[in-house]
Amino acid sequence: MNWLGFILAQCLNALSQASILFFIACGLTLIFGIMRIVNFAHGVIFMLGAYVGYTANVVTGSFLASLVVAPIVVGLVGMAFERTLLRHLYGRRDGGAYLLLTFGLAVVLSELIRLIWGVQPLGTGIPDFLRGVVIILDQPFPLYRLFLIGLGVAAAIAIWQFLERARPGLLIRAVSQNSEMVHALGTDVDMVRTAVFGFGCALAAVGGVLAAPLVTAFLGMGTSVVIDAFVIVIIGGMGSFLGSIIGSVLVAFVQVMGAYYFQDLALALMYLLMLIVLIIRPGGLLGKED
Amino acid sequence: MNWRLGFVVTAAACAVLPFVVPQHSLTILVEALILGLFAMSLDLLVGYCRLYSFGHAAAYGLGAYSYALILTYVPLPLPAAILLAVAVTILIAIPIAWICTRSTGVSFAMLTLAFAQLGYAMLFRFRDVTGGSDGLVGIPRHPGPFGVDWFQGKLGYYYLVLVCLFGSYLLCRAIVRSPFGAVLAGIRENEAKTIALGYNTRAYKITTVVLAYGFGGLAGALYAAFAGFASPELFFWLTSGRVLIMVIVGGAGTLIGPILGGVSFVFVEHQLSQVTDLWPLIFGTIFMAFVMFAPQGIWGILTSRFRSRREVPGSDSGKEAPGAAT
Amino acid sequence: MPLLECRGLVRRFGALVAVDGIDLAVEPGEIRAVIGPNGAGKSTVFNLITSVLKPSAGQVIFAGEDVTGMPVHQVAQKGIARTFQLCHIFPALTVRENVRIAAQARDGRRWQFLGGGGVLNRSASAADDAIGRMRLTRLADATAAMLSHGDQRLLEIAMAIAQKPRLLMLDEPTQGLSIEETGRAVQILKDMLAAGDLSVLLVEHDMEVVFKLADNITVLHRGRVIADGAPAVVRASAEVRSAYLGGAQ
Repeated sequence: MNWLGFILAQCLNALSQASILFFIACGLTLIFGIMRIVNFAHGVIFMLGAYVGYTANVVTGSFLASLVVAPIVVGLVGMAFERTLLRHLYGRRDGGAYLLLTFGLAVVLSELIRLIWGVQPLGTGIPDFLRGVVIILDQPFPLYRLFLIGLGVAAAIAIWQFLERARPGLLIRAVSQNSEMVHALGTDVDMVRTAVFGFGCALAAVGGVLAAPLVTAFLGMGTSVVIDAFVIVIIGGMGSFLGSIIGSVLVAFVQVMGAYYFQDLALALMYLLMLIVLIIRPGGLLGKED
Repeated sequence: MNWRLGFVVTAAACAVLPFVVPQHSLTILVEALILGLFAMSLDLLVGYCRLYSFGHAAAYGLGAYSYALILTYVPLPLPAAILLAVAVTILIAIPIAWICTRSTGVSFAMLTLAFAQLGYAMLFRFRDVTGGSDGLVGIPRHPGPFGVDWFQGKLGYYYLVLVCLFGSYLLCRAIVRSPFGAVLAGIRENEAKTIALGYNTRAYKITTVVLAYGFGGLAGALYAAFAGFASPELFFWLTSGRVLIMVIVGGAGTLIGPILGGVSFVFVEHQLSQVTDLWPLIFGTIFMAFVMFAPQGIWGILTSRFRSRREVPGSDSGKEAPGAAT
Repeated sequence: MPLLECRGLVRRFGALVAVDGIDLAVEPGEIRAVIGPNGAGKSTVFNLITSVLKPSAGQVIFAGEDVTGMPVHQVAQKGIARTFQLCHIFPALTVRENVRIAAQARDGRRWQFLGGGGVLNRSASAADDAIGRMRLTRLADATAAMLSHGDQRLLEIAMAIAQKPRLLMLDEPTQGLSIEETGRAVQILKDMLAAGDLSVLLVEHDMEVVFKLADNITVLHRGRVIADGAPAVVRASAEVRSAYLGGAQ
């Protein structure tokens, strides 16, 4: 057995997993950075993305189309939620209200999904043009997973540049640090918040579309994901974009290693990781504290 | 209204209820009371400490499965089995409480959720013992010590649950009105200040979590003994969600509100589910509406309207924390 | 032996040295004021003493015991009560309940979760006593959030004295108070000090209050002690004057 090839395959496996996690965690951390709230509905948003993507795929017959349509649709849903509902809570002394409201959204959305799409898992499988394997060091490696890695890297670079260079990106960072100041300078901070919330949801939806061919779209796929995303954001630091990348890679490796060596307990491993992280640093490791 | 009078009247009304309603409603009544107890247990955390637990289903599940598993090894009489189940739940709750209270806010919520999910996963991992996704069926109720068996029948069990609910309520009420309870109010209002005053707030929070698990576990054990059945669904996040909704909509921080929330939830769910498949959606929406517009919940609204007419806040006026204002 | 002693306290925040080797002592029965321009490190010193912040170096000795870095609540239990710069109270509770919870804090049976009538009564009368002393009795049943800013500050002081501390640490107690309220607070503090076994450490910007109350003054500038002594001495110090009036700021 080719030892080196095996290690490489596992690493690539982890990286492709990290890619999906990155889309979700990045969205969560951006939303936290701008609004100081953890969007508990983020896992269900991810699930919504998978389901909308499935339908878009079925209707248009194109995976790439679903990759475009789903984020847009889900992003709009997110913006609508923020604008109409979340707004009401600004200025409340009790931070718990956000938690409860986004939780309520999670319940409502998962019910809507169940009503619209039913209880059976839905899957279209990997799109034809991404099927197949690539031989690396005598190990077969799925083309789709390479695609995931590529897309993840491209998105990370794009978002990074956007935050560093583009005017809207700088605006987002400014609002994250000092929204009052930015408001005083004439910017409509509310609009920035709505836009970022929508963008964060759109990213999670991309994650959902990408994950669906691998795990199918099923009810409950959001629950463990929201915990994963939370762990990533805690490890990387609430509000830290770079942290979401590091965290995603770390968590993905833990998951892949765990699945290989512990099988049954792989699920428990994630929770143990979260416990360990929160025990060491109840408030997070880097980036802005809660 | 004088609290003592209200309590006695309510207790009396509940006592005669089985004779006034049709026989087949008795099952729902029992379920409603159990869920009311479950909701009240969460209120200790949410309403009195502002610790939002998204994993309180774990308490319920632990109580239910403990009861069931105890009975597969030892055929204990019902009261003993339930007490033992509660004891087991409390024991397991201690390390959980210790870990979860290291954080606050979202982190606390996520940790509690994680423990509930862990419990859920463990059920499948050890499916030989727990029955996996099928759960445990045919859970018995054994007659009590000295052949006491009035709780074997449905009516008798109703009274058992009633006693447990009212007894737990009295206990919780005493707790929140005690010096301990006053500290919880302080933690809720301004934890930093409470610590600065010299209180070890962590210890108080751990104790409250354990108490909440204890009462929640009692509800779970009562359920398992009644339904004769325990399934992984008891640990599922939606179970945690439902009880959280009951607390908020009923009125967090009042003990009575969540009990009413739990009780009415069962009835409304029963009625609605016969008519439409949309009821979870409706509940979720109602919940969000309350969070946005009426965070004090139904009971909070009812009692505030009543409270504002009083001149001086007394100590026996139905408020749950000494000196708490509207 | 001094009641409170700070030896070589240092606190860094990254590259910023907020407190740079401070020695401070409060004798039993003394009122010591800590003054200095903004950013001198006064509130940081308070936070170091009460363990809200852990020192990068140095020690805090209270009543002969090293309390450096002890958990916050334990330090408070030793007999230190403090107020905060940003008024910290329990907004939704009544004034009486606010003070009662403070009074309850050092009761040995504050743990009781069933009954506890004895504790509740004891702390309630201690609370009423403190409320009376701060002349807040007419507001005892009002919700704390409804009080004016000045009354809230007085409430916070009432909470501090209800704890029957050995050392009272007041962080800018008269900030935001009207002249009348300030005068009232000063008089109350003077009466208390005349009555009992109490020491006070006070951060203040209002120089009139400082010179009216303080037995001794410690002047901080950029994290260091630049003067220490009786008011007259400090007033005359050229260093103090230059620190306040700009100089090499």
